[in-house]
Amino acid sequence: MNKNLRKIIRQTNLLVGGGITLFVITVAVFAPVLAPFHPVDDSDLMVSEEPPGAPYYLGTDIQGRDILSRVIYGARISLAIGLVSQTLNTIIGVLFGLSAGFFGGWWDDFVMGLTNIMLSIPALVFALAIMALLGPGLINVFIAMGFTNWSFSCRITRSQALSAKNLDYVKAARALGYGRIRLMFTQILPNIIGPILIIGTLGVAWAILLEAALSFLGLGVQPPTPSWGGMLSTAREQLFTAPWISIFPGIAIFITVLGLNLLGDGLRDILDPHTQTQHS
Amino acid sequence: MKKWMIILAALFLTGFLLSGSAYAVRKGGTLNFMAPYGGDLSTLDLTKTSRYQDYLVGMNIHRGLYRWDAQNSVPVLDLPESLEISADKKTYTFKLRPNITFHNGRQLVTDDVIWSFTRIATMKPSAPAFRYINMIEGAKDLHEGKISTFTGMKKIDDLTFQIVLTAPIDLSYSLWFPAVVIYPKEEVERLGDAFGTNPVGCGPFKFVKWVKGSEVILEKFDNFYMEGMPYLDKVTYKIMGEAAARDLAFKARELDATIVGAVNYPEYKADPVISKNMIEVAEMFTRLVGMNPDFKPFADKRVRQAINYAIPSDLIIEKILKGKAFPARGYLPSSSPAFDPDGKKYEFNPEKAKALMKEAGYENGFVVERAIGTANKSWGTGIYEAMMPYLKKIGIELKIQQMEGAAMDARIRSSDFDMFIWSLDSGPDSLETMSRWKSDVDVGSGNYVKFKNAEFDKLLDQAAVAETDAEKNELVKKADAIFTEEAPVWFFNYNKAIMAFHPWVHNLSKVAPEMMFQDLTAVWVDETSPRANEK
Amino acid sequence: MFAYAVRRLLQFIPTILAISLIIFILLNVLPGNAALMSRGEQDTGTLTTEDIEEMKRDWGLDKPLWYRYAVYLKGLVTGDLGKSFLRREPVNQLLKERIWPTLKLAMTAMLIAICLGVPLGFYSALRQGRIADTITMIGAVSGVSMPQFWLGLLLMYFVSVKFQLLPPQGYGEGSIKHIVLPAFTLGIGYVGLLARTTRAAVVEILSLDYIRTARAKGLSELLINQKHVMRNALILILTTAGLQFGDLMAQTVIVEKLFSWPGLGSLLVDSIFQRDIPVTQGCILVIISTFLLVNLIVDLLYGVIDPRIRASYK
Repeated sequence: MNKNLRKIIRQTNLLVGGGITLFVITVAVFAPVLAPFHPVDDSDLMVSEEPPGAPYYLGTDIQGRDILSRVIYGARISLAIGLVSQTLNTIIGVLFGLSAGFFGGWWDDFVMGLTNIMLSIPALVFALAIMALLGPGLINVFIAMGFTNWSFSCRITRSQALSAKNLDYVKAARALGYGRIRLMFTQILPNIIGPILIIGTLGVAWAILLEAALSFLGLGVQPPTPSWGGMLSTAREQLFTAPWISIFPGIAIFITVLGLNLLGDGLRDILDPHTQTQHS
Repeated sequence: MKKWMIILAALFLTGFLLSGSAYAVRKGGTLNFMAPYGGDLSTLDLTKTSRYQDYLVGMNIHRGLYRWDAQNSVPVLDLPESLEISADKKTYTFKLRPNITFHNGRQLVTDDVIWSFTRIATMKPSAPAFRYINMIEGAKDLHEGKISTFTGMKKIDDLTFQIVLTAPIDLSYSLWFPAVVIYPKEEVERLGDAFGTNPVGCGPFKFVKWVKGSEVILEKFDNFYMEGMPYLDKVTYKIMGEAAARDLAFKARELDATIVGAVNYPEYKADPVISKNMIEVAEMFTRLVGMNPDFKPFADKRVRQAINYAIPSDLIIEKILKGKAFPARGYLPSSSPAFDPDGKKYEFNPEKAKALMKEAGYENGFVVERAIGTANKSWGTGIYEAMMPYLKKIGIELKIQQMEGAAMDARIRSSDFDMFIWSLDSGPDSLETMSRWKSDVDVGSGNYVKFKNAEFDKLLDQAAVAETDAEKNELVKKADAIFTEEAPVWFFNYNKAIMAFHPWVHNLSKVAPEMMFQDLTAVWVDETSPRANEK
Repeated sequence: MFAYAVRRLLQFIPTILAISLIIFILLNVLPGNAALMSRGEQDTGTLTTEDIEEMKRDWGLDKPLWYRYAVYLKGLVTGDLGKSFLRREPVNQLLKERIWPTLKLAMTAMLIAICLGVPLGFYSALRQGRIADTITMIGAVSGVSMPQFWLGLLLMYFVSVKFQLLPPQGYGEGSIKHIVLPAFTLGIGYVGLLARTTRAAVVEILSLDYIRTARAKGLSELLINQKHVMRNALILILTTAGLQFGDLMAQTVIVEKLFSWPGLGSLLVDSIFQRDIPVTQGCILVIISTFLLVNLIVDLLYGVIDPRIRASYK
């Protein structure tokens, strides 16, 4: 225990990444307490595009809304996009992977085929098509990202399931009459939590960036909902005339994605030194 | 004697002025222009397209019977040198200039005009350009395949022909549009569909290359019918839909001119150099929010008026559009001949709005679930966002649905909305523009708010048979007043189009129907241009 | 090895068929249609309902979905991807013009990413867990943490407007001058990724027993790195680079729009927004095929790098 703790402390990546992530989560959770203004309702054209200064510490946007408050509330939206979509991906990936590894046969072939297909369609292309189909909106962003990025977790779960199937204690457990389903969850899940956590962490970062890319193409979250990607993309033409409007959400994305990536790397160092996961 | 002297002096003076300006003109060089509307061009066969992105490039390759004279804001003859209109205004006799050659070297003759018009009428699926010629006798029958020759187009000799109309309509307002242009038959037939990517016309510039998604390159056509023109050796249209990138490319002198978006307007205006090199024009586009009468509250005129009173359009124009628009009164823009400067304007008056809402029985307001719009900066969902706090004060809440153009178009046409925000073409012909709101026009053909008003229809019917333009415009003006009073839309603004250019660019013009319809024949660059000697 | 390559190529067929079906269904249920989009964004009110029906008939959109898919498949088999709705040009022709610029951009970007990412990752791994590791990784991951359009605009501003070093946009006959900015914008996002992968690979290998032994034997650190680590790490780096190549091709969507680059990415966006279904299908097909091919090449390269793997190509 002590040794593990030392190991964790030695990992500066983990500490820095974890610290940043924790900070962002705190901001998101306590947004209503922290934000001096309402991100949508407190708009006032009379204070449109005010540069940073009291009472708008990070300035206001073209609609006269407080950017600090929008960045703070934006943490909620952007994290929600990351968390919801990655949870969806993980659930899909784990269910497919577990069942494929365990049942084998045609189901395995089918799942692996599907995984290969998903891997070869670039996520942005898929998301673009889905968003064009459904139209912009928060729920649609969840869907577009939550169903397109599950192949990594599926592969890892499947390989774990395959190797677990042949382990002696699993065989023994089966001989003792434990059901397959129960086995799947009790024996295999604990083994894959590490890799899944890493994939998930990086996936959240991926989703936040993808939302920004979709916003650039006009297919992100609906206005006036404050998502960082949306704020950044709407204000891109003012990047040099009213830089504060885009700089601060840009910094928020930067710090969050950086923190999540460092956290993911740190987690990999301690949890999973033998499994490499590729991820954007 | 004295009179004679004065005339001579005047002649000298004009001669001096003319030669003076002629001397100042510098020939040669390259102009880096832009095609700013959305993505790549779709085709340079202008008959087959209705995208402005295609027209604005193609109009410098192709020519038609009329062109738009930006100086006087009227259509003028282009390929024909003379025209006679019969007393009943139904027969137009054109005489073509004798010195027009296509880029392939062949002379343009009457047969080319008749062939090009016939092609527009017979194309399957129907050419978007068809609506500009459908008033010619036989056009509709030809279009439907009932006849095989264009009865309304009569060849008299190689340079003379007649166009016969079904009704006395001013042909110039239809035919100036860049969709109605004359092609060399042999090239179109030789190239087939590929004509759209290798166009051959008779305009001032020849097509050289189209790097798909990136740029279109044109070069000077030496045998253009206007002597000594065009001045430029080469024109490059950079395909740049992204406004932020366009702004930077202009500042990096990669672009010689750019169309200015609202967010950059104050910055450009404040710049000591750029501000001197900007042209502004009241473009004939009306930006508005249409209200669907099928949504119950919007069936009530008082609610629609309340919305017009509740929103401070002037403030939104000042803050969000940075003053790059003219506040709207009625539907017709201030540059329209039928614009009424004394017409009713909905001034910001929240008290009156509240009272009207109460009168209509919506004291507690309602929720507009489907407020649809695109991400456009000047007439998209950003405007909804600015409206929201003000509408909230009279109890109206908006649920914004942002979408891209394709989805939006389909939604408007199927009436699947409560509110839409859009920019509608409102010029240059006042009657044609206003006619889209007539009761018998269906939603798919442009009456998106299902406007129905008998008196309005009657006025427009009278205008259609009016003897003079003044009389016609007076009637249309009255119709617009009814439209404004009924308020089927929230009247937002008329676009102020702005083009900024570097000091070395000369002779860009203020084109009211669409600023980007720049005829580059007379445009020239002086030696301070970084591309002054580029060929 | 040749037989292996052929077998892998044959495996592409079902994958591509399945993808084409998914994409076909997805695109054909999109709201909006090309007939409307042919009018462009600013309303000109040129089309009547009959016109739209006529265009749909012309494009075969009045037929049932299964029939259209059959027609599409038939074309696919003969290498004919159909005709663009709006441009009325064969899709093959359109794609042919656009593939090379995109490949060039993607390859240059990947090169930049590898040249920066691999050394950074290597360095980081050797300093694992220390401050230098964290700082290096922060530097490497910074690129990934910036939305591309934002980075691209900043680069344009500083490089082209402020210092006037490079042209801000355009293809310019594909000159090096023109490719630097877009390739950098695109590639920088993959620096962090490759750095991370390299770091992870090297960290793992360094913890392997035989390396520890070698270290214990007193072989110099540098020599160890060269001999053992490099070759093993290379495989992983290649795999990552290969897997990311498809993603990179897709990311050109943003960069090409921003820089007016005449590639597949901008064609894809235009065609999706214009509902030009045959073109969209063609673009996606090409991007996916490139991805599959690149990964096949990567697989074959393993054999070159590591003879043990070559033995398994049967």
